[in-house]
Amino acid sequence: MHPNGKRLIRRTRRQLFQDCGIGIGKVGLTSLFVGDSLFGQRPESAGGMHHRPRAKSVIYLFMAGAPSQFELFEPKPELQKLSGKELPPSMLEGKRFAFMESFTKDPPKLLGTRRKFAQHGESGQWVSECLPHTAQVVDDLTFLRAVHTENFNHAPAKIFMNTGTPFFGRPSMGAWVSYGIGSEAKDLPGFVVLQSGPRGPRGGAMNWTSGFLPTAHQGVPFLGGGAPILNMTSPGGFEGERQSATVDAIVELNRLNMEAVGDPEIETRVAAYEMAHRMQTSGPELIDFSTETQATLDLYGAKPGERSFANNCLLARRLVERGVRFVQLYHSSWDHHGGPGESLDKDLDEVCLTADQACKALIIDLKQRGLLDETLVVWGGEFGRTPMGEVRDTVGRNHHIDAYTMWFAGGGTKPGQSIGETDEVGFQPVKDAVHVHDVQATILHLLGIDHERLTFRYRGRDFRLTDVGGKVIAPLLV
Amino acid sequence: MILRSACLAAFMALPAGAAQGDEVRFFEERVRPVLANNCQACHNDSVRSGGLSLVSRESILQGGSRGPAVVPGNTADSVLLRAVAREGALKMPPGGPLEPADIEALRAWVLAGAEWGQPADPAEPAKLWSLQPVTHPELPRIEQSGWARNGVDHFVLARLENEGLEPSSHADRRTLIRRVTLDLTGLLPSPKDVQEFVEDSSPSAYSRLVDRLLESAHYGERWGRHWLDIARYADTNGYSIDGPRSIWPYRDWVIRALNENMPFDRFVVEQVAGDLLPNPTRDQLVATGFHRNTMVNQEGGIDFEQYRVEAVVDRVRTTGAAFLGLTLECARCHDHKFDPISQRDFYQIFAFFNNVDELGGNLGETEGRSRMMEPILELAPPQMLAERDRVTKQVRQLERELAQLGRDLEASWDGNLPGVDKEALRRADVIVHTAREERSSVQQAVLERLFTEHVSAYKAKQDEIKEARKALPDITWTMVMRDLPEPRESYLHVQGDFTRRGDPVSPDTPTVLPGMAPDLPRNRLGLARWLVSADNPLTPRVTMNRVWQRYFGMGLVETENDFGSQGNQPSHPELLDWLASEFVASGWDFKHMHRQIVNSATYRQSSNYRADAAEVDPGNRLLARQNRFRLEAEIIRDAALSASGLLTPVIGGPSVYPPQPEGAGQFTQVDRNWTADTGPDRYRRGMYTYFIRSAAHPGLILFDAPIAQETVTRRNRSNTPLQALTLLNDASQTEFALALARRVREHSPNREERIRHAFEVCLSRPPSEAESERLEILLGRMADSFASDPGALERSGADSAHGAAWTSAARVMLNLDEFVTRQ
Repeated sequence: MHPNGKRLIRRTRRQLFQDCGIGIGKVGLTSLFVGDSLFGQRPESAGGMHHRPRAKSVIYLFMAGAPSQFELFEPKPELQKLSGKELPPSMLEGKRFAFMESFTKDPPKLLGTRRKFAQHGESGQWVSECLPHTAQVVDDLTFLRAVHTENFNHAPAKIFMNTGTPFFGRPSMGAWVSYGIGSEAKDLPGFVVLQSGPRGPRGGAMNWTSGFLPTAHQGVPFLGGGAPILNMTSPGGFEGERQSATVDAIVELNRLNMEAVGDPEIETRVAAYEMAHRMQTSGPELIDFSTETQATLDLYGAKPGERSFANNCLLARRLVERGVRFVQLYHSSWDHHGGPGESLDKDLDEVCLTADQACKALIIDLKQRGLLDETLVVWGGEFGRTPMGEVRDTVGRNHHIDAYTMWFAGGGTKPGQSIGETDEVGFQPVKDAVHVHDVQATILHLLGIDHERLTFRYRGRDFRLTDVGGKVIAPLLV
Repeated sequence: MILRSACLAAFMALPAGAAQGDEVRFFEERVRPVLANNCQACHNDSVRSGGLSLVSRESILQGGSRGPAVVPGNTADSVLLRAVAREGALKMPPGGPLEPADIEALRAWVLAGAEWGQPADPAEPAKLWSLQPVTHPELPRIEQSGWARNGVDHFVLARLENEGLEPSSHADRRTLIRRVTLDLTGLLPSPKDVQEFVEDSSPSAYSRLVDRLLESAHYGERWGRHWLDIARYADTNGYSIDGPRSIWPYRDWVIRALNENMPFDRFVVEQVAGDLLPNPTRDQLVATGFHRNTMVNQEGGIDFEQYRVEAVVDRVRTTGAAFLGLTLECARCHDHKFDPISQRDFYQIFAFFNNVDELGGNLGETEGRSRMMEPILELAPPQMLAERDRVTKQVRQLERELAQLGRDLEASWDGNLPGVDKEALRRADVIVHTAREERSSVQQAVLERLFTEHVSAYKAKQDEIKEARKALPDITWTMVMRDLPEPRESYLHVQGDFTRRGDPVSPDTPTVLPGMAPDLPRNRLGLARWLVSADNPLTPRVTMNRVWQRYFGMGLVETENDFGSQGNQPSHPELLDWLASEFVASGWDFKHMHRQIVNSATYRQSSNYRADAAEVDPGNRLLARQNRFRLEAEIIRDAALSASGLLTPVIGGPSVYPPQPEGAGQFTQVDRNWTADTGPDRYRRGMYTYFIRSAAHPGLILFDAPIAQETVTRRNRSNTPLQALTLLNDASQTEFALALARRVREHSPNREERIRHAFEVCLSRPPSEAESERLEILLGRMADSFASDPGALERSGADSAHGAAWTSAARVMLNLDEFVTRQ
């Protein structure tokens, strides 16, 4: 071994740069993480990055397409009464909507829901008949009933929810978290993305990109089927021992070269190959549900081998058990405009049916295992839907950015409450409105991160997830 | 601690007689950022928390309510140090302690006399180093004049000698030819190239090699791809739908322009404003694709004007980053916080790009959709266009007939169609009884589908149209710039919101830079000419810094995209100016500058790690050695293609579809149909892979290829397990390994010879004895293993157990760190 090489390996390069005060964000010559941090594995001490964390990991259930709060969570007697009446034009002034034409041709008419609502649990939270399972765990949830955002088209709004800006290519929440506090998973990425439903989320990889942060922090989308990660399976004929022998030879030849040139980057590459090889073994074990009891499978409605939201929820639990920091599940399609396949009746029923039970199961399962306290579960879409109807094939609802509903559970949130209220027809918030940046600030806060201090210098500016906004939602915290 | 003191020493040259320049440099690199990022938000001339401002040496010495913040040379009495050390009651900054290294830097700075650098005050912008006129510095005196080969080396060596560091010896010839071939063409040298170079003892052997490589058509590909990062080139529209576009002729223009060594000033003018040149040629129009690489949102229900504005903003951002090294976009919503760029400046530049005849305004859904890609240029001979017009006319006629048929069917509608279920009939009935202009596009589509499925005449007419369309010639087109006859009105967007109209603005350049000459038109052409005008100091500096960055892994200015006050100072300011002035004086001759750099002794140094140099200069900013870095995503593929002998070296043309792992496209809204090429296009260079912005080929993205959402001037360089999985297991890699194994086996029947050849093909060098032995062990094990497992042999695709063993060896070679590294 090259004498310098040895010494360098003992100090990680990160330390080296810190010692010399070269900001880590500026170093472009070599990759940024070595050895123990190939996926950003950098378990912070119990003290957290900026303060004591309440949550260790996040499971973010992203309901892609934007579920209708009026059919699921928000009973509005006044809206029922006014159904069919035109919305006073004064309320529309200065507002911009998607599919503007459909609203400018004729003044839009308010639309009451056909769904029945009831109060549930000891906390008496309103949930409609569409989500009978979720209704059973409301005492574990906190509803945010007046969330607002800034973008009324799906892709920019999803990007906004995930990156804090509508601009494509900025780092996503999971990447920020991984960059900030790393992950405890040994053989798995720190940020995993799962997908179910008829189509992938609009904007694709932009939703989990690492942007200008080091690539090691980007979300790794897991595939349906036998191997969760691309290229996880050895090439035909080269499996098992033969693959091990190949990796051994690569590692040893790399070490020989390390002796000659002394570049610590080679040691990083060796560690990457060793971890890749371990992942080939741990991957199949991860998605093997045969170790789960039938009762657990039934609880979720999970069927091994299926690409479903239920399976993904169960997989999410298995991922956080293994120390993965941020798991994001995309479930489509919630975009109920009223066109074919997007009616507020049959089509909404169908997507609720695929999502509802697994959401409940996840909460119950995490709780049973004592994981709910340290796992933050977030449920929500990229925006909400209008109280006005939109006339297509049937009457549906358009995109609405001023007020919609999300829920949080576990991870240091105060359960069994609702925060925020909207006006009588659910058009505007009237109390405790929260902005998407507040939601993001709160998620970071629960993980022990101050959203104003997790920054990255890029092109002359310190960027952060919450851009120039964000306030922790205090009533949400225990 | 040892390391830290050592690196301070490097910057400060602490021994007596230290040059003042080093202290200024230390301040700029280590102290100013600490003050700016942690203190100046509260302690500046306008806020003055505690009566203290920390924005100049004077204000720091003057201090605040607690007396002077700093007493030069006296660390004990400097309040600033006590506060950041959190020793007394005053603990700063309030948010939490500084990094220990930052505190140490402040301490060292106070101890050495608290020298200040250049003022960062925006009111004195002219003093920002990057805005000073470019000079042509004298070559500094050096002691070891025998080492230097050209001007570049004088500047580098002078600095090294000043720090008491020896440069490294030359890299050996094999490393050198592999390095320079990868740097100039992105391909591996063949074993024959290497042999010839090693045996050529003439003193001009290396410079002749450089000349030959610069003449290779692959040079344009290699350096073209660097430019395409900046141009945010991609084959799809971006955003959510991310449908296909055609702009590859622009990509080919870049390659061609570089190969022809088009002077850089022309290169800029044609891309920014080729369409406004007098009687522009077709090529000059194609070149304007540069600023059409902006994304187009095809999502339903969007406000077209919003996304037109986004595209214009992107052009401003890209112009700032690509040519000026300025972060103009910071001024989109408010005046730039650090640099002398006002919001008005931003919208004045915006105004140059605001007149493109592209989608925007209050276009309706249907009209908007039909004009998505415009303006475009069709690249086909006139007779082909005429044929297209003829067929189009015919198709239109048929479509009219179809529409008439539809109306007839509706007119005779009786609520019944054989074979249609009740529910569908009911729905159709509603639609038929809705006036056409009242129907939604979805309703209309539902009705038409019903006719297609159940009325044979209707279906027949549709088939006729389909058939007629087949005669449409396939016409290549590309997205270009074209201005509106009447410029759009431009105005400030209050807080960056285009719906909030501020003061009107007209096109102009930022006030802080030398103004546009009076004879320049106030349009894009004038802007383009101004970008490369003699008195613009930024364009040549920024460009040369980026060229340097490609050769050394890092620019002379580390913040290659920020030449403003928040950016870093150049490590070798005189060298940067020397390069910039040489560049302009040579007539913006790119190849001339490549020769200057790659012929230098600095470039030719060994990249082997040096502990002595790392002690004083851990970042290797002083260049006591070359740097060693991983190849870019595309070049990793190209290297494997050259090693395996599979490469199809065709330059240009439509983008291609190499295989990609199954499931790679399943995470976007629109399912991507990715049918892998089976012919020669399967083995094209990485830069020709069809690039889908929202779902780019994983082999590119995992190795840090930019996602083309916005301009990128430097790539990340990561090293992850997912990369290892790709190189180990991707089907393409196995295909390359099989071919490499074949190549090696065909070379010789002798095992030792084969191993040697594998090393020479992949690494341009013979193996060491240890390496050779290690590979032999693997070969033996693998041959046994495959011989005893016919099933595995069958799956491997190799012809025999020996073939499979050699394929294993080839897999190892293609996975070596050295293989994916330019040493």
